[in-house]
Amino acid sequence: MNICKDHIGGMTFLLLSVAYGYYAGQIPLLPGDEYEPFTAQTVPNALAMLGGILSIALLVTADRGEGSGLKLRGYDFSLVAKLLALVVFFALALEWIGFLLATIVFLIGGYWLLGERRVKTLLVASVPFAVGIWAILTQLLDIYLAPGALFNQIFGG
Amino acid sequence: MWDGIFTGLSTAVMPFNLLMVVVGCFAGTFIGMLPGLGPISAVALMIPITYGLDPSSGIILMAGVYYGAVFGGSTSSILINAPGCASTVVTSFDGYPLAQQKQAGKALALAAYSSFTGGTIGAIILLFAAPALASVSLSFQSSDYFGLMILGLTAVAAFSGKGQVLKALIMTVFGLMIATVGTDLSSGTPRFTFGNIDLIDGISFLLLAMATFALTEVVMTVLKGQHKEEEEEMDMNSLGSMKLSRDEVKHVAPTIGRSSVFGFLVGVLPGAGATIASFMAYGLERNLASAKEKLKFGKGALRGLAAPESANNAASTGSFVPLLTLGIPGSGTTAIMLGALIAYGIQPGPRLFIDNPDVFWSVIISMYFGNLVLLILNLPLIPYISRLLVIPRPILIPLILFFSITGVYLVSFNTFDIHMMAIITVIAIFLKLLEFPMAPMLLGFILGGIMETNLSRALVISDGSLAFLWERPLTLSIVTVAVLVLCAPPLLELRNKHRAAKGEATDRGPEAAINEGEG
Repeated sequence: MNICKDHIGGMTFLLLSVAYGYYAGQIPLLPGDEYEPFTAQTVPNALAMLGGILSIALLVTADRGEGSGLKLRGYDFSLVAKLLALVVFFALALEWIGFLLATIVFLIGGYWLLGERRVKTLLVASVPFAVGIWAILTQLLDIYLAPGALFNQIFGG
Repeated sequence: MWDGIFTGLSTAVMPFNLLMVVVGCFAGTFIGMLPGLGPISAVALMIPITYGLDPSSGIILMAGVYYGAVFGGSTSSILINAPGCASTVVTSFDGYPLAQQKQAGKALALAAYSSFTGGTIGAIILLFAAPALASVSLSFQSSDYFGLMILGLTAVAAFSGKGQVLKALIMTVFGLMIATVGTDLSSGTPRFTFGNIDLIDGISFLLLAMATFALTEVVMTVLKGQHKEEEEEMDMNSLGSMKLSRDEVKHVAPTIGRSSVFGFLVGVLPGAGATIASFMAYGLERNLASAKEKLKFGKGALRGLAAPESANNAASTGSFVPLLTLGIPGSGTTAIMLGALIAYGIQPGPRLFIDNPDVFWSVIISMYFGNLVLLILNLPLIPYISRLLVIPRPILIPLILFFSITGVYLVSFNTFDIHMMAIITVIAIFLKLLEFPMAPMLLGFILGGIMETNLSRALVISDGSLAFLWERPLTLSIVTVAVLVLCAPPLLELRNKHRAAKGEATDRGPEAAINEGEG
């Protein structure tokens, strides 16, 4: 039997529904809730059931025709992984070095990953943009952007 | 009603709101022209900006972006045969051949006129239909609302195209599941938070919308390697004349009229939206054409361009009817607007018409302004706006990523949200590779909370019995329609298979081509 996209999808959601149903049973109930027609568990339980039924239906009716298999060739997963890692790094950088520097690093990193290598372009497309956004946020819109924790530790918060 | 219209008019003509329409249309046109980014992504990118505005200005901006994006999508369909979104795929059938015949200017102008007429007719019908529906829906009870939400959710799944119904339903349930994360509003108990403080408030709608539409769409273009493709050169000097002759106008006028009304009606159906309207209008027009004209379709027929363009704009307007009167979004884009309205503390639905007439009417009136702006300002400026597309992709993509991430961060100031976005993007890419549609999930997520509240009310009133589903005639009829909508596509498919087995030719029309109902 060929494993096709519908099988993977159906199986994923079946497992998800089972796990969801298990945790739905763990939701604490209030005293007296057993006599109530509607509790915090009602909808989650119904959804777990519904999810289970639908995913089994998808598994049963899965399209096994040609082109239904999962094809991963031709996709650039490593670049996407690097970009998402850059996003996570941006979140960490925001806490440590503040909005302005984090933005510049994020943009230069993004341009670099996507193939831009000219130093001038890297700088021109990031520094003025980041400074501009930072100025609009802090000066024009009066939004407080916390300086990075690193600066607080060096210069005292 | 006239009081309301005047209130709306006075809100809509405030200089700031007019500015919002213009800015929205321009921003929307630009984003809509970028291949891969459609109206949903464009509207999602605007949410953080609208948080700082008052509700009417915010919604006006979003509505402007919506039209702009649909218009921008048609522009790239015509000029470079790269539809920005699903609802303008049909536009390229006849629009691109026209551009190849050095009649790009004419095609763009016709697209703009058809969109304008479609939008205008849509806005006029909306003007009368919405208040009428709103006053009827005042008598709705929680059981009816619960029925309507079920109808909305099943309709989205049912219209999602051949072979996609089950997947769309699963995604709807997935969206409903995500909506249960966080503190339960009725009992105050935390659900599915796993002891994480950041999840106590649940997952924010903005975060989910940005991660699944803005971030994922951009990352998908990188995944497919589209960022390396050079943008096809557009020669702006050979656009040709933008004028239509009198004969041509006479030729397409009935088509535009028909398709506008038709598109509006399709748009009103919850879940149908602009994509399906444009495909169906094109099919309808081809069926109505004479045998000789039929041959021209697909090779640059003016009618084939006018029909989907007027239909998709009228449908965009039509999808505001269920949103504004019942609080049930008709498409992915209006689902995002619903989320934004709820964030403002405004609950769209029958009460909106009474409680916030300024929002209700100014949206309707600014829709008309939006159409005017597109026609008067955007059309002549198209050659200049499309120059912006020359910005190289390696520069553009990180900027869009930056805007989507900071859009979420600047609302919550919590870096946990950024990590969450990255995780959701990974999940969304996995699901997209498996061909699961995203719009039903967002719809399920947004309607989940309201649905649970209404279900709990209905169940408490009927003392735990499910009899409320059939005791009230109104609820019963809504639920029956929902069941019919859900059962019709699989039954039709079975019948077609049966016929095909008998050797009969089956022509399912262009609707069968719709695999992405995310309009």
